[in-house]
Amino acid sequence: MAKVFIYPTTSLILSDLVARYGHTPLSSAIAIRERVQTAGLESVPLQITPEEPKKGLKWAAVEVPSGVRGRMALYGPMIESCEAAIIINDADLAFGCMGCARTNELIKFLIRQKEVPKIDLNYPKNEEDGVKFVAAIKRFLKGLEGAK
Amino acid sequence: MTEYVPKNPGTITKYIVVESPTVTASELAIHAYEIAEGAMIKETCFGLAINGKEDVVDGLIQKLRAIDPDHIFVKDRGFVPGDPRRCRANLGGARPGFHGIEYETTVLPYVSHGLGELRSRDAEGIPAPQNPLETKKLDVYTLKKLMEAPES
Amino acid sequence: MTTPVRIAQISCGPEYSGVQQEINEAAKAVNGEIFFPDIALKDIIRDFDAFGLDVRSPDLKLAIARAKALVDGRVDADAVFIATCFRCAEAAIVRNELRHYIHDHSKLPVVSYSFTERTTAGTLLTRMEALTTIARRRALLARETQQGLTLGVDSGSSTTKAVVMKDNTIIGTGWQPTTEVLKSAEDVIGDALKEAGITRDEVEAVGTTGYGRFLVGKKINADLIQEELTVNSKGAVYLADHQHGPATVIDIGGMDNKAITVQDGIPGTFTMGGICAGASGRFLEMTAKRLGVDITELGPLAMKGFAGHVPMNSYCIVFGTQSLVNALAAGSSREDVAAAACHSVAEQVFEQQLQEVDIREPVIMVGGTSLIEGLVYAMGELLQTKIMVPRYSQYIGAVGSALLASGFIRDD
Repeated sequence: MAKVFIYPTTSLILSDLVARYGHTPLSSAIAIRERVQTAGLESVPLQITPEEPKKGLKWAAVEVPSGVRGRMALYGPMIESCEAAIIINDADLAFGCMGCARTNELIKFLIRQKEVPKIDLNYPKNEEDGVKFVAAIKRFLKGLEGAK
Repeated sequence: MTEYVPKNPGTITKYIVVESPTVTASELAIHAYEIAEGAMIKETCFGLAINGKEDVVDGLIQKLRAIDPDHIFVKDRGFVPGDPRRCRANLGGARPGFHGIEYETTVLPYVSHGLGELRSRDAEGIPAPQNPLETKKLDVYTLKKLMEAPES
Repeated sequence: MTTPVRIAQISCGPEYSGVQQEINEAAKAVNGEIFFPDIALKDIIRDFDAFGLDVRSPDLKLAIARAKALVDGRVDADAVFIATCFRCAEAAIVRNELRHYIHDHSKLPVVSYSFTERTTAGTLLTRMEALTTIARRRALLARETQQGLTLGVDSGSSTTKAVVMKDNTIIGTGWQPTTEVLKSAEDVIGDALKEAGITRDEVEAVGTTGYGRFLVGKKINADLIQEELTVNSKGAVYLADHQHGPATVIDIGGMDNKAITVQDGIPGTFTMGGICAGASGRFLEMTAKRLGVDITELGPLAMKGFAGHVPMNSYCIVFGTQSLVNALAAGSSREDVAAAACHSVAEQVFEQQLQEVDIREPVIMVGGTSLIEGLVYAMGELLQTKIMVPRYSQYIGAVGSALLASGFIRDD
């Protein structure tokens, strides 16, 4: 099983397909779950405390807005641990964890810098696209098995 | 600052989204209750949220998926079902992530179609989708063809 | 307990900066309740397109659509809090445009804020209090005349002021540097009562404002304890005799600055800055000290100088002062240095705060620094307008408190 970074990290579709074809999707829900299930100081709603933007300094400098750095504290470790990545490029309507365009640009860049198998796609716009989309992801994920 | 003590540590929560012509969310919920094995099940507008120990949740999901595998989709969730920090009833409005799922549900029928097709077709034989990073510009011949096409 | 004021939050980033809890707590402290306007995806797509500001961040698209839902009346709210990350250019544009948009198209009071991970509930409290006051106390804020015999106390970070008013006239004042909060308050109250020739028992209602408002208010059993944003804007338009129509109030204080747009005496949008001492009255105090003059002499001195003669490398209270010292060493006149200090403070307030509010004439300057005419002149030059400084402007908070407190006089 490979750890597959999915973009958008909130994607139901990518999360489902990665798990369906036998791998582990790295999604924002898991990063949030870690925080929600760890004792500390209360910081509603996501248990992201003001310490997280400071941790985010590892990936973005202090002049970068706190929201970017706080998000990078979630995604930085995921990017570092991933063994493959699936990127949907026209994910313009993914909010919340994926709600900041600057963070999203940085995430994509860091993933592209990393030497792991990756595939770039767009959301399917019709049934024919849907077949190609699922087939491409299936081939990609099966290929990961072969590589291991 | 208030101390935070997590509730339900060591459990996981997953969303099950049903976008099916044959199974409704409530039917799936009834089935889930029957085989719950101690997991907490909550019906939502998309389908279900299930919380429990990882192996229990995963086992339950495997059984539920089998009901309509091409139309049932699963993702992780950070919060326990009904957590007041994420619940619409407490926030006044939907959490932002809701709209992301709302968007993806419009795409699900195409994915379902793809999953269905791949039952009878080999993925290897299906052409790759256009790589969005290599978007082609309209070539001059196609443009000429378009210009010369009779107006409808 | 009254019903909480429903504050619609329109934001990008607070949850990921770890400051949502602080926002919630600040709202709760003033009996406000934060909520997120509920809209559907189709609303987001439609309203974002219709608004026409083509930003990339999805959460800013959501913010735009939520603002539209409030303006269109599809979601009910009493007030709006707009918050985005500090240093995000995209968000700053959205924040400003939404503030304008909501202000121009609805009656909802709005406050906008750019936070960092260091933002605390304490920082947000005064703003939230002003927001809920405007939403909840419109009737009180509509008061235009002072009635009866009232006392107003402004317990500020640098100075404490008190004013006694009777039948719409100021009859006693007191002013002292703030040392011990309660003692300073007692002293200025004593001075004001003495000048007015009355005893404490004759006072019919009391109001407090400023940093020490809660402590002093509790001690002297005030009828009204109110933050300085609403109090000062009321006091300013009252003293300037401009209670109808638009106005802008600027108060450069000892510790923070306020810029408030006012419509018919009720604050509309406001900003409150307090990060840099170089944009405060403290900078002018230090300059006066260095020039060997009393703070009251700095203004007239500055009026005789030309700020452009002194190169200022920084707005900072340390490095800016260094520039002034260097200029003196290089032979600059004391007048030019005084003018440069006034210009430096005015320019920083202009650049960092006045951009956040829509300047509407007349511009009224209040607070102790409004008596430094070099500063008022520099601000007027920057804003290209003649600035009003009403009589008693240094007592602004105390006057506003005394004015509003008269709403608490019982008929019996």
